[in-house]
Amino acid sequence: MATEFRRKGQRVVATMEPEELEVVVQLLTLTRDFVAPERDESGDPFLDLVAGMGGSADPSEPEDPALRRLLPPASRTDPEQAAEFRRLTEHTLRQRKAATLSTAIEALTAADPPKVDLDLDQARALSVGLTDVRLVLGERLGLRTDEDSDRLHERLERALAGEEEVDPGLFQQMAYYDFLTWLQESVTLALLR
Amino acid sequence: MEDVSTSPTEPPVGPPTGPSEAGQVAVLDRPEVDTPWVTLVWNDPVNLMSYVTWVFQTHFGYSRAKAEELMLKVHHEGRAVVSTGTREKMEADTEAMHAYGLWATFQKDE
Repeated sequence: MATEFRRKGQRVVATMEPEELEVVVQLLTLTRDFVAPERDESGDPFLDLVAGMGGSADPSEPEDPALRRLLPPASRTDPEQAAEFRRLTEHTLRQRKAATLSTAIEALTAADPPKVDLDLDQARALSVGLTDVRLVLGERLGLRTDEDSDRLHERLERALAGEEEVDPGLFQQMAYYDFLTWLQESVTLALLR
Repeated sequence: MEDVSTSPTEPPVGPPTGPSEAGQVAVLDRPEVDTPWVTLVWNDPVNLMSYVTWVFQTHFGYSRAKAEELMLKVHHEGRAVVSTGTREKMEADTEAMHAYGLWATFQKDE
């Protein structure tokens, strides 16, 4: 069983079982592949910047609701403003999210379980990266209100106690979501000052 | 919860501007320059209270107390104004909030 992250000076340290680490890395990687820009990068930062300025980005909202939540409209009332903002920022936002997720993935991949010993940048990347994973999972689980989130945890407890039957696939998603919530809370509290 | 102390530091009030001002040449008139814009953050069922507080402290440099106050406003009222300033600055703040996974929008101050 994992133990929560603790702050030790400029380090943020926890313990996790290899299987737990594997699941977290896998979910971070799936999320990175999901959110990463669709256009290939040239590898040249200047050319990529210019390409991003060309206005070729698609200003329409993503059809997948999970992607729409990761890249939300910047206005709820003015579709033109939202489309213009999306055209200008979506590509860099996707790059930024993918880079943060990569930092978290690399940090956890380099860990020597059960010890997970992160510097502050890696811990920040893990906290931010777990947000995106949980946003995707939360969307797939149909979480719409704060009450939905509370009910998920209760339902999981009842399923674990054998009091409620839950579809195995759904049970796994719920268990992942619940574990990542605990993990993100723990790393975030270690960063809060 | 309605608490005026949560509103961010307001910019000084500029001189009255607008297209209707007598004698103004319209071409160089930029009436929006002094109109404040705001960034709003909206409540969602996924983001943790601790995380939202941490984001407000980290990105805006707000104190723990102010960050928690804004977080609670988002949580209880469904949204809160988290920053005020020029349109360009609000666009940058909105983009930063999206990078953190918070749902932000920007608009002219009402």
